[in-house]
Amino acid sequence: MLSSLPEAVAILLSLEGLLVLVVGTILGIILGAMPGIGSTVAVAIVLPFTLTMSQAPAIILLLAVYAGSVYGGSIAAILINTPGTPQSAATCLDGYPMAQRGEAGLALGWATVASVIGGLVSAVVLIFAAPQLAAFALEFGPIETFALILLGMTCIVSVSTGSVVKGLMAGMIGIFLSTVGGDPILGEMRFTFGNWQLFAGFNLLAVVIGVFALSEVFMRASTKQSTVSELVSFNGIVLPSLSMWKGRFKNLAKSVAIGNVIGVLPGTGAATAAFVSYAEGRRSSPNGDGFGKGEPDGIVASEAANNAVTGGALVPTMALGIPGDAITAVMLATLTLHGITPGPKLVEDNPVLIATIFSGFFVINLLLLPLGMLLSRVAAPILRVREAFMMTAIVILCAVGIYFVRGNVFDLLVMGGAGFIGFLLRRQGFPMAPLVIGMVLGPTLELTLRQGLILTDGNFLAFFTGHPIALVLGITAVAALLLPVVRSLQKRGTA
Amino acid sequence: MQRFVSERILVQVGLLIVAVALFASTFGQSFSSSDLAQSPMFFPRIILVLWIGLGVISLIQSFKSDEKTRQIASWPRIGIVLVAALIYTNLIGSEGFFIPSVGFAVISLLAFGIRNPILVLLFAVLVPGSLVLLFNHTLGMPLPTSRFSYFF
Repeated sequence: MLSSLPEAVAILLSLEGLLVLVVGTILGIILGAMPGIGSTVAVAIVLPFTLTMSQAPAIILLLAVYAGSVYGGSIAAILINTPGTPQSAATCLDGYPMAQRGEAGLALGWATVASVIGGLVSAVVLIFAAPQLAAFALEFGPIETFALILLGMTCIVSVSTGSVVKGLMAGMIGIFLSTVGGDPILGEMRFTFGNWQLFAGFNLLAVVIGVFALSEVFMRASTKQSTVSELVSFNGIVLPSLSMWKGRFKNLAKSVAIGNVIGVLPGTGAATAAFVSYAEGRRSSPNGDGFGKGEPDGIVASEAANNAVTGGALVPTMALGIPGDAITAVMLATLTLHGITPGPKLVEDNPVLIATIFSGFFVINLLLLPLGMLLSRVAAPILRVREAFMMTAIVILCAVGIYFVRGNVFDLLVMGGAGFIGFLLRRQGFPMAPLVIGMVLGPTLELTLRQGLILTDGNFLAFFTGHPIALVLGITAVAALLLPVVRSLQKRGTA
Repeated sequence: MQRFVSERILVQVGLLIVAVALFASTFGQSFSSSDLAQSPMFFPRIILVLWIGLGVISLIQSFKSDEKTRQIASWPRIGIVLVAALIYTNLIGSEGFFIPSVGFAVISLLAFGIRNPILVLLFAVLVPGSLVLLFNHTLGMPLPTSRFSYFF
């Protein structure tokens, strides 16, 4: 991959390359700052614009929107006490009290520096870990791949927010949806009920946008109109001096590490990382007592971790084709739209593309500092945009985005249906991320299971007896599945 | 009694019925291979059985739990937005992008409480209009058109 670096740099320094880097990061920060949009919807909104682009600029644009939106969420969290994205929710806890004290600029300064450092380290992790992981995964046959996907699935459910049973159920619904259409081995039609529009199955993006974006609009319409907290006085970002960092580096390093590790685990996501890191910061920081009252360490813990997730989550996405969270599931579908098949062979077959994407991701995180400082002033008035306009625009933009994916009007119906069902399920506490990840991983899970059974003459136990990697992955999967059960039993025991 | 007819229970029962119906539908079809691993229904059946099992557990948990579903703040608003969005996604295919988008924007903005007619009309026309200009005329990616597009 390193030998392809000069070509990658040439692509990034071309007019198109520079344009997508800057425009994508700007769009990401602005969309991320708008409460209610979130990273998944931000990526979906920008998706149709990439369809006229070549592979590398298209993916870089989406990555820039992704990383930018995660950072942008902190602006709304600090200035109006409403997280722009769920992953910035922990930032509110200390960011807004600081802003109320008249230190909004400094709070955003802490958030910006922590985000940039978290993102840069995660880019380095991505650059070094993804090729190694992909090289290791090249040895995998169908049985090992099946065990790996199984592990991915169990990780998803073990971190499901709320009820584990509902998380598992959402995962099953997602896997089932992926079975609609042609059978992967014989090509025979399943669950189409004579509707030819279903022969190719449900469009993943239509379902994702439906259950995340459209259902969010319905959720907002069903709840009391949010009263936006008063915008605090803000005169631009103030970066913390080096002396102010004294005694805080350990917290920063720990948060970055937590973000990277959680990012790599399939199904966890930036919001989990931010809260885990915040809790750890509160426990171990010398300033832990001040958490929740406007303590900079709280902002650093949350922002460093949620931005560190971005690169970490891309490691399994790129190297194994397993999405780290819902956003990377959308990225995965987008890569496929652009003719790129993520997985172990991607790094080997497309070294220039991979080098461009990875180095582009590093540059995006560098750009967060100047663009964040510049845009925070512009983004502040945008926070006053009324929910009505934002929600209406989201529905229209999502319709445009979904239509352009395949030019198929049927996908719009799927999006509408998924939005309605997503709304019903979310109201009952069903998490949507397992559904999406189930839908992404379902086809590979089925294909590798059936291939494995053919190889072992229908003996499922032979999956693990003759394949040590599959055995280790299988044991880890069972442990990941049992962990929440053990935890809940422990809780009952101590109660 | 209310515990048995709550929205939570109805949704759970609905999910269970769908899963059972889908599972039953896997038996009435004939495929070229009925071998265990080669059967097209082998994998979906496993998933549907798990779905049904989890559905039953979840239903029992719901019966035992006192947890209440979040209250709907305004039934008319959610009703209007839901129906408008579903009709909108259905109409784009036959009536094109622009006209349904303007209609949806007007209804949605009114439902969300925007009462300034100029603001509503400006937003409803400008947002879809700028998207048509951008995609149809700048990017060369035509959005769905209606029977009236011929006149423009």
